[in-house]
Formats: sequence, C-alpha cells, structure tokens
Amino acid sequence: MTWFDSSVHRALAEAVLVGALGGVVGVHVLIRRLPFFTMALTHATFPGIVIAALLGADLYLGGGVFGLLITLAVVLFSRVRGQDFTAATGIALAGGFALGVVLVSAQDGFAKDLTAYTVGDILAVSARDLAITAGIAAAVTLLLVVFRRELLITAFDPVGAAALGLRTALIDFILLAAVVVTVVATVPALGVILTVALLVGPAATARLLTDRYALLFPISAAIGVSCGVAGVWLSTVWNVAAGASIALLVGVVFGLVFLGSHGAALVRRRAAARPL
Amino acid sequence: MSLIEPFQTPFMARALAELIILGVLGGTVGVVVLLRRLAFLSDALSHTIFPGVVAGYLLAGEDGVFWGALAAGIATAALLTLLTRRVAQDAALALLLTTLFAAGVVLVSRRSGYASDLTAFLFGRVLTVTPEQLWQTAAVAAVVIALLAALRRPLLLRAFDPVGAEAAGVRVGLLDLVVNVAVALTVVAAVRAVGMVLVIALLIVPAAAARVLSDRLTVIVPLACLIGAAGGWLGLVVSWEASIGYGLRLASGGTVVLVLVAMYGLAQAAGLVRRRVRLGRARTGLEAVQ
Repeated sequence: MTWFDSSVHRALAEAVLVGALGGVVGVHVLIRRLPFFTMALTHATFPGIVIAALLGADLYLGGGVFGLLITLAVVLFSRVRGQDFTAATGIALAGGFALGVVLVSAQDGFAKDLTAYTVGDILAVSARDLAITAGIAAAVTLLLVVFRRELLITAFDPVGAAALGLRTALIDFILLAAVVVTVVATVPALGVILTVALLVGPAATARLLTDRYALLFPISAAIGVSCGVAGVWLSTVWNVAAGASIALLVGVVFGLVFLGSHGAALVRRRAAARPL
Repeated sequence: MSLIEPFQTPFMARALAELIILGVLGGTVGVVVLLRRLAFLSDALSHTIFPGVVAGYLLAGEDGVFWGALAAGIATAALLTLLTRRVAQDAALALLLTTLFAAGVVLVSRRSGYASDLTAFLFGRVLTVTPEQLWQTAAVAAVVIALLAALRRPLLLRAFDPVGAEAAGVRVGLLDLVVNVAVALTVVAAVRAVGMVLVIALLIVPAAAARVLSDRLTVIVPLACLIGAAGGWLGLVVSWEASIGYGLRLASGGTVVLVLVAMYGLAQAAGLVRRRVRLGRARTGLEAVQ
C-alpha cells in the first residue's frame, strides 16, 4: 500500500501538478494574449484524443500531435489576406470540436465518453497519468526557465528582439508548443472546456496583485495549486463534479481579488483627490 | 444520394427549417462578429448561458430554459463591461466563460442523468425540434435581422472608424451593447436546437467564407446567409445518408459544422484562384498599356 493507491490522493497530486503547471504557463498565455488560442487548442486536441482511443494508441500522443497540427493550421489561415487571427482560431475551434463529436457519435456509449472528454474526470487519474503529468510539468518548467530572457523580450518587444538577432518565430513556436503540451496534460483532469480556467485564471488573478513580472509566476502557481486542491476536496465533500469545482473556485478567487483591488484602487484615488 | 428525399419525414423537415433559419440568422450576425472581431465573445456567450439554461430548467421546466439563458446572456454582457475596466478583454472573457460554465456543470452534476443533459446542451437535439421552438427561432431571427438592418450605417461606421463614429455623434457604448445583445439572442435562440458547438460555427464560418469570396459588404451578407443555410441542409443530408445507407451514426450537429468548415476550405481555394486571375488580368492590362 502506498499513498497513491487511493483515487482521491491521486486526484490531489494531479491537482497540485496541473495547478502549478497551468499557473506558470498561464502567465505567458496572459501576456502574449493567447486565451482564445488556448481555448481553440483545447477543443482541437479533442479529435486527436478520440482518434488515438479508436486506434488504441497513446491518448497523450494523439492529442499532442493534433494540437500541433491545429497550431500550424491557425498560423497558416491567419496569414491569408483578409482573415484575422480571431476568425481563424474560431474556425479551428469549431471544426476540431465537431470532428471529435462526429467521431465519438459513431461509437457506442456516446454521452458518457463525451462528458468525460468535455468536463474531465480528475478522480479517474491513474498512476501512469500522474507520472506523465509530472514529466510534462518538469520539461515545460525547464524550457520556460532556459528561455526566460528570450521569452520576456519577445513578449514585450518583438521588433527589438528580432533586431537583436533572436529568431522570434522559433521562440513563438517554443511557447505555443509549451501551451500545447500543458493542455494535453491538463485535459484528462479538467476536460477540454475547463482547462482554460487553469491556464488563464490564476495568472489573471496574480496580475491584479502585482505589477512585477518575476512575482507573477510564484503567485500564479500558488493560486493554481490551492484552487486545484480545494476543488478536489470540495467535490468529495459535496459530491459535485471535480473539474467544475476547480474551475469555479478559480473564478471565485479571481472575483474576490478583483473586487478587493477595485476597492483599493477607489480608496487610493479618493485619498489622492483629497486636498492637502 | 438525394437532396430532398430525407426531408419527407416531418421531424427532418422541421430540423431543416430550423437550420435554414439559423443559417440565415448566423450568417447576418456573423458578418458583424467578423468585422468587429467578436469571435471570442460569441464563443464565451455560448458557454456562459449554460448556468442560465440549467437554472431555468430546474426552476420552471422546459419553458424556463429560454428566459434563464437570456438572463445569463445579459449578465455576461454586464460582467464583461465591468471586468474589462481592469483586465484585458480576452482574459476577462476566458474567466467568465470557464467560471459560469463550471457553475452550470456543478449545478447539473448534482442531478442524475447528468451526462445526457450535458450532451444535449453541448451538441443539441436538432432532430427533436418542436413546431413551437421553430416559431421562437423565427421570431428571434426576424427581430435581430431587423435590428441590424436598421442600424447598418452606424454599425459600419463603428466597425471601420470608431473615432469617426464617435465624432459623428454615434453613441458607441449603446451600439456595442446592441451588438452584444444581438449575439446573445442568436446564441440563445440556437443553443437549444443545435447545441453550443454548432452555434459558434454558424456565427463564424459562413461569414469568414463569404469574406474570402468577396470584398463588398452587400455581397458578403447574403452570401454568408446562403452558405449558412446550405451548410445546414447538406449536413443533414450527409448525416441522414450515413445512418440510413451505411449504418454509420454521425451526430447531425457535428456533421453540419464539418460541412461548413469544408465549404470554408473550398471558399479559400476559390478565393486564391480569384486573386490569381485578377492579378493575371492586371498584368496583361499593364503590358497592353506599355
């Protein structure tokens, strides 16, 4: 007997991993304005997962390969004259998801499978899933640490970065690939729709709390981990869907911080406006 | 493969009528969505009305769904306006989307038969559309299209020159609210019949395809309506043929989306050819002058 034999314990460990990973990658998603792209990506990995399941191949591999294909498709579409990135992303989103739905609907047990894909099932995480998530988390964190300077300068000054001789297209691709593998690691736990919550929420909350870039990462990761653990705990106590509880908590924490910082800003403004 | 034969059964005829109305509505509103780059807003709205749908159903049964969805759509628009004062719009949309959708999932996950409820919302049940729902959809479509047609001049000005619009005395805030409400109404009208996923496709794909084929707005709008309606028709035919002729069950909503995306691909190819031809013509014209 080890601690990981209980499904609740495995779910807690998974929540800690995806919470931290989502929090860290989320900072980049936020500053590079990629939330909608992430949304499209989560939907677009769906047919990859279904095809992999049909062929008996590895689910992570299927989702990852399809995610990269969609990334390429979006980049190509958005280069066509007259189309902007948003419309291309929307088409990739709708098309990818519909392909997954049609593939699943040809199988038996349609509704149940589909629910697991769309809202996830963190309590069904196996020891192997946990090991893969840990591996992905370590690799992505390493990648982001190694390229931290390049990522920072490309985010805030792409022209300057290119002038310095950085290959910005390569840096962009590294970042998008990091988002793809993060999505692939998180989808089994939270599902294709709610994964976006962990990839945007903690980072957006951290952004309200600090203006300092270096502080964003630890704060965001801490928020992600706490929401993940608390969400799993709430779902076991009240018997509600685990992935949804995590996403809901992320939203509630953001709402509270937003109200708090809004209030603080109002008070500051009043104080500043008062005559000396 | 017959294009008409499947629609002799009443339920298929109703499904076709619903999809044609929604195709025309989605095509019209979709052009505004495309011009104003509101794709993410439409996506977010289609998810955030979910808790409204669930709450409406729990409180008042089938009749409550429409009003619950409408209330949630308006709440989304209001919350979005509040949040974007301090947060980037895309982050605010993503947060609203996941939080409200999660609230809906939590509500519905306490019920038995949870998986099938969720599936119905996500993918719709276009084959079980009732005559009453058909009338509701038609009424919403008429109101929204009339609204957009009446406001077409300020809408155009706002899309291409926001500063000029304000200078010309257009009340931009009010206009944006009208557009958001139009998108919300479209989503609400469509979601019960065709599900969340198809709503997004109807709002984005036909307009994007029409945009590739033409540069003139007076052509783009009817073309988008035509593509939307044709996609619905062909999608139903394909899904029917696959299940009757080949014993392959393809979800009708998903099939419609795939047909729409395929039409978009064709439009891209046609657009490429059109530009090549024009370029060639311009070159020969230039040589003739020289």
